[in-house]
Amino acid sequence: MKRILSLLVVLMLSSSAGLSALYSQTANTKTPVNAPARPSPRLTLPLKDGSLRFAAIGDTGTGTDSQRELANVMVRYRSAFPFEFVLLMGDNLYGTEAAQDFQKKFSDVYKSLLDNQVKFYATLGNHDLPIQINYEPFNMNGKEYYRIKKGNVAFYSLNSNYMDQKQVKWLESELSKDTSDWKVAFCHHPPYSSGSKHGSDKQLREILEPLFVKYGVNVVLTGHDHFYERIKPQKGIYYFVTGAGGKLREGNIKTSSPLTEKGFDTDLSFMLFEVVGNQMYFQVISRTGETVDSGVIANNTKSRSARTEPKIKVHTANAVSHRITWASKIKMAA
Amino acid sequence: MTWKTVNISMLVVCLFVTGWNSLGSTSQDAQKTDQQLSPADKQAINEFETRVKNYIKLRTEVRDKLPKLSKDSTAEQVETYRKSFEEALRTARAGSKRGDIFNTAGSNYIRRTLKTELDRKDKAELRKIVFEAENKDIPLRVNYPYPEKKELTEMPATLLLTLPQLPKEVKYRFVGRNMLLVDRDNNLIIDYMTDALP
Repeated sequence: MKRILSLLVVLMLSSSAGLSALYSQTANTKTPVNAPARPSPRLTLPLKDGSLRFAAIGDTGTGTDSQRELANVMVRYRSAFPFEFVLLMGDNLYGTEAAQDFQKKFSDVYKSLLDNQVKFYATLGNHDLPIQINYEPFNMNGKEYYRIKKGNVAFYSLNSNYMDQKQVKWLESELSKDTSDWKVAFCHHPPYSSGSKHGSDKQLREILEPLFVKYGVNVVLTGHDHFYERIKPQKGIYYFVTGAGGKLREGNIKTSSPLTEKGFDTDLSFMLFEVVGNQMYFQVISRTGETVDSGVIANNTKSRSARTEPKIKVHTANAVSHRITWASKIKMAA
Repeated sequence: MTWKTVNISMLVVCLFVTGWNSLGSTSQDAQKTDQQLSPADKQAINEFETRVKNYIKLRTEVRDKLPKLSKDSTAEQVETYRKSFEEALRTARAGSKRGDIFNTAGSNYIRRTLKTELDRKDKAELRKIVFEAENKDIPLRVNYPYPEKKELTEMPATLLLTLPQLPKEVKYRFVGRNMLLVDRDNNLIIDYMTDALP
């Protein structure tokens, strides 16, 4: 038994080394020559031609130096990984919402990205006045909840502050006719989270999870808790909390939580995604530019009913890779 | 077939039916409530909804006199619109007072509905969502804006689905145990009821 285990560990490490080398090589070849003097971004993302690339960040709107520092890291990473748009998880503006606040807490901070035509798609948090839906750079098009399609991915921005009948009906109607390969939902409150301050929003989960499962939502991105957390897949769905874009709640992830696959609550962070066919790569980067989590989610099938053994390949911060396979069948909720 | 077999079969059928009904029961709750309303409750809700509609009518008249807010607005346009809408509506509703929209019978219906839901659900979880918001010191004043700096309580989704539905321009919002009606676009407190939550 011991020998078998040792052999497995060796195989995993060698596989990891191979992948890391591949990624490093790819990143180096793609990094522009005139990159900033600071340490070059280290990508674990494959940078495939024609792939869909985006970022996700939440709870940003503080206007503080640390928010700006993280935004600068995003800019640096974009030089190596030209992402097209950014999903905002809400709490886009803390405190007052005068015109100068939009500037100080958003447009000044992300000026470089905005100037380079990076689009932001926002959702409303519990600190956001709903009238933000009309602010052009948030691209909400006057709507509290909306759907956008990018390549083979459909994105659903939901207003988790106010999940009323109209929104639930709209979501079900949209999901039921959605034939996209990937369905990504994002909202402010997390259906799953290990935060001591807030934690899982079970009320929201009770309403949304059956729809997510029934209609094959693959990934759910949220904020509200001010840290990064990758949740162990729940009913075949990958939940992420990425709520440390401007505020940090240090040490707030419950260490005993059975939900956590990977957590990072010691600095601000953002996420990068790359969708290549039926694979969605992700990388999580801290304010200091370090990779704190990365991996790839496989979308094995187009419909939930046929999805029985989803796989995720994960690279953790110390570059140890491992493969997780769910042998158990996913039970259908409906 | 023995009685024991029959009993086991019935138990299996009951468990199946119970399990099946529990799926998606939340989204059906409101519909069930509609069907099971007493005439008095129906009248109370109708009255409440009529008052909300009257508010929307007045609001629309006020809004139509303002420069239109585009969905592609700048920060300055958003701020200007919000403030001018707030001022114009406050003027139009001068003299409005608590209970103008939350009629007594409607408020009682809402209190009962919330209590029933809290008794059915995980009360601690619901109360955690409502009470964790840092907004308890907000002065409850009709026709005044909800303080801009204060966070907006998330309305627990399972509660929201059971309450009388509102047009998109008006939102329910908890402040402690009290419930407010707030205008979405100008943040004015339209009305409030005390002790909405048990």
